[in-house]
Amino acid sequence: MTLSLIEGVLLVFVLCCAIGAAVLRDVLASLMAFAAYSLGISIIWVMLEAPDVGLTEAAVGAGIMTILFILALANTVRPQENGLFESISVPTVVLVGAFVVVMIATVPSLPAVGADGAANPVVSGEVTQYYIDNAYADTEVKNGVTAVLAAYRGFDTLGEAVVVFSAGVAALTVLRQEVFA
Amino acid sequence: MSSDERTGLYVESTIIMTTVRVVSPFVLTFALFVMFHGANSPGGGFQGGVIAGSVVMMLAFAYGIDAARDWLDVRVVAALASGGVLTFAAIGLGTMLLGGNFLEYHLYEQFISHVVAYAIELVELAIGGIVASVAIGLFFLLAAGFGHAVDSPEDES
Repeated sequence: MTLSLIEGVLLVFVLCCAIGAAVLRDVLASLMAFAAYSLGISIIWVMLEAPDVGLTEAAVGAGIMTILFILALANTVRPQENGLFESISVPTVVLVGAFVVVMIATVPSLPAVGADGAANPVVSGEVTQYYIDNAYADTEVKNGVTAVLAAYRGFDTLGEAVVVFSAGVAALTVLRQEVFA
Repeated sequence: MSSDERTGLYVESTIIMTTVRVVSPFVLTFALFVMFHGANSPGGGFQGGVIAGSVVMMLAFAYGIDAARDWLDVRVVAALASGGVLTFAAIGLGTMLLGGNFLEYHLYEQFISHVVAYAIELVELAIGGIVASVAIGLFFLLAAGFGHAVDSPEDES
């Protein structure tokens, strides 16, 4: 698999942001690194031709999450830090490293990006083919993702919507408020 | 709770206020586009709802969280959240009343033609309402913080 220049730059950028979010000592700086990481990942999603996921990542990961984290920070005491980086403990590095190795070991078994036919079980799979062939006739919706989300897997989506609703109710309960404001 | 008790959270800035005033109508339009056009282009209720919610957050950053809280009608937020869940569930359960499966949109075809596309659009809007109102709600709740409720329970009731 060959990377174009922009893909390579993005991957390095995302990796640096992720490491920055983990090791930066100042919480606000770490938060900014996390937001930049989310933005980078959202562009990668678009390059992988998953614009729906990219849009969600940009809006939720880089947008709302950052705002909520900043608000949480503003409501807490930010200790005066000395030193740019968090002290790194060896056991944590070993544990995280082992996890990363396990994850990377699964990468070779993934189909190549953009591969067609039998080389890509995701594309040639029976379910995918059914969606591609029938989605418009069944749902009159051109975006296959929306067809799956709102029609074929509508019950799952109702569950997701209720999860979001419950999150709001849970926040109300925990903060002992009665109204959303 | 007065705004000066949360010093540092709000800075009145003409630049931010002007920018938000210019940008927010476009952001809201984009949110509605993402929600309504989710059937034919990337997007949908979840993404559009988050963008719509961020409009209120932008206003809160520009004009102060307390001002935005006073301006916002909490009944609208609550109605969007619960109304969204109820609408989605009603569309799903309605087909079961007609003798079909959950969310079998085609059964509505006898009342309105091309109903499947409209029903999916309505579901997306319901999701958008839930997501937008919960995002706004979480924002204001987090901004108020825990102390807000515990310190002055009498004021809130």
